[in-house]
Amino acid sequence: MSTPRGLSTKEKLLGIVDDVETIVKELLETTIAQKQDKLSHGEQSQIIQLLMSKNDDFKSTLNLACEQQEIDQKMLQLASEVYKHDQEIQMLQKHLKEADTLLSTALFQAKQKLDQIQKAQTHQVGSEDLIRFAHRISSTNAVAAPATWAPGDPRRPYPTDIEMRMGLLARINDMPISQVLENMAPSTRGGEHQYPNFTQQPWYVASSDVSSSVSSLFANIPEPTVRGNTNHDDVEVMSTDSSSSSSSDSQ
Amino acid sequence: MGSVSVEDIDVDFLALIYDIIKCVERENTESAQAKRSEFQESSQKIQEFHRKLDVTRDQIRKLPGIDYSKEDQIKKLEALRKQLVLKKKLLQKYKDMCALEGVKQYLNPSNAN
Repeated sequence: MSTPRGLSTKEKLLGIVDDVETIVKELLETTIAQKQDKLSHGEQSQIIQLLMSKNDDFKSTLNLACEQQEIDQKMLQLASEVYKHDQEIQMLQKHLKEADTLLSTALFQAKQKLDQIQKAQTHQVGSEDLIRFAHRISSTNAVAAPATWAPGDPRRPYPTDIEMRMGLLARINDMPISQVLENMAPSTRGGEHQYPNFTQQPWYVASSDVSSSVSSLFANIPEPTVRGNTNHDDVEVMSTDSSSSSSSDSQ
Repeated sequence: MGSVSVEDIDVDFLALIYDIIKCVERENTESAQAKRSEFQESSQKIQEFHRKLDVTRDQIRKLPGIDYSKEDQIKKLEALRKQLVLKKKLLQKYKDMCALEGVKQYLNPSNAN
């Protein structure tokens, strides 16, 4: 009896066991049967031969199963090795991806730097101009307050009331929104940076003007009478100034 | 599910079948009283035979590595081997990636040529 190709060994073995059961059943039936119903001697011996061949088939298929078990062991080993390699490949891919991200970020930053360098080279500013500009903005204490500054000192530690009034923030309520936006981003238009015109800046006000305006602001403030209240008065002076500027803003 | 090996399977059916047939034949020839005891013995042996077949079926179902025919199994083994070789090649390729070629050339200019 030929076994169909592609049938698994398990199915073959189970099939043989079923066959043995059927043959034994047939054999017992013919043994129990009455004389007239009994199979002939030749037929009986054929059944026994079939049983014997099935027994041999069973043994040989079991040997095949034994071989397949060995192959299965090899397959398990190979599968575990494939799994290990898979893990390694995945880890390498992850590292490569990380390296790729880092390198692309670095490249992007380097390109930005190169652009900045090119821009700096095309718009070179002389050191003398720089020093002059630094002198201009620092001579009026517009950038940083003098180290010895104290309330009442006419030298300014912050934008003065006049400067605030001249600024965009003071006029923000009077202007339509489109104009405000235009004023807020003038440098982005045309793709070129507009460099500040030093002479038109509010901090270019002569120091004597600033001192006079600040002294006029402080003119109405009463002189502190108690020495212990100095800190409180400081706060008063600051808040008065800020309130005056805010009130002028709202006008 | 505990795994079973081929050695655990009892392949000796013939002796039991022979015993059953002998009992049944004796049953046909002996007297009424002897018949009863032979009948009991033969039915007991038949039960035992059925039990043995069931145990064998269970063991076969639990046998590992026989879900395919040998040809299919060998094909799968070859496929796994091929897969492993490819994965090894890929790993090697990743390790010797061209990103490092520049560094290699810089370090060993004579080897690069």
